[in-house]
Amino acid sequence: MTESTASAKTTAARACWDCGAPATGEHFCPSCSKIQPQPPHQDYFAFFALPRKLALDRQQLEQKFHQLSWKLHPDNFSTATPYERDLSLEKAAVLNDAYRTLRDPVARVEYLLGLEGIRREGEIKQQAPPELLEEVFELNEHLEELRAAKRAGTDRRELDDLRHRLEAARREFEGKLEAVDAELSACFAEWDALLDSNPDGAARKQTMEKMSEVLNRHSYLRNLVRNVTEELEA
Amino acid sequence: MGRIVGIDLGTTYSLVAYVGKATGRPQCIPDEEGRTLLPSVVSLDADGTLVVGWPARERLLIQPERTVYSVKRLMGKGLADVEDELKLFHWRLAPGSNSVIRIALGEKILTPPEISALILRELKQRAEKFFGEEIAQAVITVPAYFNDAQRQATKDAGRIAGLEVLRLVNEPTAASLAYGLDQHREGLVAVYDLGGGTFDISVLKLQQGLFEVQATNGDTHLGGDDIDNLMLEKLEAEVRERFRSEITEPEQVQELRQRLIAAKHELSSAEQTTIRLGVERKGSYERVLKRAELESWIAPIVERTIGPCKLVLKDAGVKPEEIGEVVLVGGSTRLPLVRRRVEEFFGRTPHTELNPDEVVALGAAVQADILATGVRDMLLLDVTPLSLGIETIGGAVAKIIPRNSTIPASATELFTTSVDNQTGVDVHVVQGERELVKDCRSLAQFRLKIPPQPAGLPRVEVKFLIDANGILSVTASDLRTGEQQSVEVKPSYGLTDEEVERMILESIEYAEADFQQVQLIAARTEAENLLRATEKALVEEQAKQLAPEERKRIERVVAAVKEAVPTGDYKLIRERLEELNQATYHLAEMLMDTAVQAALKGKRADEVKL
Repeated sequence: MTESTASAKTTAARACWDCGAPATGEHFCPSCSKIQPQPPHQDYFAFFALPRKLALDRQQLEQKFHQLSWKLHPDNFSTATPYERDLSLEKAAVLNDAYRTLRDPVARVEYLLGLEGIRREGEIKQQAPPELLEEVFELNEHLEELRAAKRAGTDRRELDDLRHRLEAARREFEGKLEAVDAELSACFAEWDALLDSNPDGAARKQTMEKMSEVLNRHSYLRNLVRNVTEELEA
Repeated sequence: MGRIVGIDLGTTYSLVAYVGKATGRPQCIPDEEGRTLLPSVVSLDADGTLVVGWPARERLLIQPERTVYSVKRLMGKGLADVEDELKLFHWRLAPGSNSVIRIALGEKILTPPEISALILRELKQRAEKFFGEEIAQAVITVPAYFNDAQRQATKDAGRIAGLEVLRLVNEPTAASLAYGLDQHREGLVAVYDLGGGTFDISVLKLQQGLFEVQATNGDTHLGGDDIDNLMLEKLEAEVRERFRSEITEPEQVQELRQRLIAAKHELSSAEQTTIRLGVERKGSYERVLKRAELESWIAPIVERTIGPCKLVLKDAGVKPEEIGEVVLVGGSTRLPLVRRRVEEFFGRTPHTELNPDEVVALGAAVQADILATGVRDMLLLDVTPLSLGIETIGGAVAKIIPRNSTIPASATELFTTSVDNQTGVDVHVVQGERELVKDCRSLAQFRLKIPPQPAGLPRVEVKFLIDANGILSVTASDLRTGEQQSVEVKPSYGLTDEEVERMILESIEYAEADFQQVQLIAARTEAENLLRATEKALVEEQAKQLAPEERKRIERVVAAVKEAVPTGDYKLIRERLEELNQATYHLAEMLMDTAVQAALKGKRADEVKL
């Protein structure tokens, strides 16, 4: 780990630092093509010049990511001035952060809800959805039995039996996860349509709160499936 | 920008390579005896002379306690990390080794970055002799699974050696560059890199010149060394049994070690071999080792590579059958067992046509060329191998940059206070996948300074940035005032900046002498070539037309050059060579249309390549 005391200037630029042409917010100055500073707190959608819509085409996003990588990667600036090298490092980092977030639908919607002030990033309610309480309870019991059996060195037949039961439960929860995935996709479509119709604040908020609720269920189920998978593979 | 070389700083061997300007192809630079490999071994003679490479490796047998090998395993490590394997080395540990290992060789104390710097310096000199010019910049490769401290230690080694490290490139990624360059391949490639001390597995997507690492995994403590150590253990036990006597002399341990390494190499092609060792006062030990027996010993070590292979596929989100090609890198992939196991796991025959010892250095040279010339038809997008996290309440870790994130990558965290007038917040940065700080690698700690205010009011934003080398830096800014704050980072492992500076100073004297040596060799070679060409020209037919005083002048300057060569003063030699160039200018013109002229010119052009 290195110390660093100053990074590239992060104040919003009104003009190109090199030729003085008015800043457009693009990554490169349209008149002299020099790399521009990253505007402070520019969001990931804006970085890719995308509207805040959720139904993103993964391939198109990848293509944009590749195009920008060719232009912004520090390798392109190895012979440039130190200032431009700093700018490229900062931009390339944001590019990668943005792509990492937007390519994953769950991370994408979580990020959007954070941007819109509906929830804080990483804030997930680890609560079992009420309609699943009973099944979750049963699954956790099976999990605990398997762990106990492993610790006690139970014979193979019984272990296999426990495993089969867990696997069946996992399949069931995977099915539920798929259903929630579909719900989430429906929310995406709803949100995107809403954006086009220029909604009032209340309508936006309502849709987002619904998404937030679906997201909670989604992340709960996803964790559950992951835990079971890990236990089965361990 | 000057010439930039690519260096593979390996556990067992190191190499230096460059991309030929005319050919556009990467090539390893050989030493004077034509060898491209340099053993990564450093030895300190009793008279205080430091010896590096092949002669140092020979000294393992005569002065093992003053000789260091496999120092890469100690880079970026503290005492607690390596306690188990210190018994494999014969040198003494100096005090103060908790956060940086300090190796006592005779009266000298050297840290792993300094030992590595000696190896780098040797390669630097090799390249300087080869090109006849100073080399100041390099791309150096590191195992993909190296953490921040190990990377920083490698960068420090470069600085101490007088090299600006323009980029650290992950070894499997470098290998894919060398590999992809040739084949213009597309699709998913797995690079399985089992070297002397480290194991890496990377999955890359190749697409129109873009080399995008999808995921990487590995073990920075798994390689040929472990196989050697295991063989050593087995054979030592056999000797003990047969002679009722331990092999205790370090010299003899090293002799056995070299014999069994030779046997291991032989068993890659032969079905069996014989290991012989004279045991002092006891007679001679001799045993036949069959390949199958060796394989039964080392199978568990080879098996340890499979876990990371499974994880890398999972992280990349691909199934083994989706991998288009598998590339083998590192000397240990010559073991037939390794090849079979890789083939079995991926369900396809791995590529072995590239020399597994050289391919990483060649790839480093390709990356160096990209940085030097601005070639824009290849781009490498690498990832960080380990998640970056910060300590939260109760010793838990909050991950802020997940593993396999494309680098550069960044994360910002907002910090505030929990009690009124609190003047600082302690931040502890770790790397690793586990949930608790104690199970992760501590990278650094620092204290954010905060002006006294009511609790919860201050808002300090800390930005963590992993650069294209995989090395972390931290900046902080007070969101209320907009002011940048300097962050005094205390690394948990490794050298402080002051220590590195001191080591650079210590090595400058040494470096100055080296530089003069290189200049001298270059000047002498040039003198030889020019003298030979001049003498040849003087006996040509056209030379008879030279005015007597002109011929005399040439002969006088030739004598002056000959006089200067043995003085060892490279500046003087250069001066007189310049005079000779001027004196022979007319002669060269006279020969313009002849074949002899071509020879004279040809000689001069050749000097570039020494």
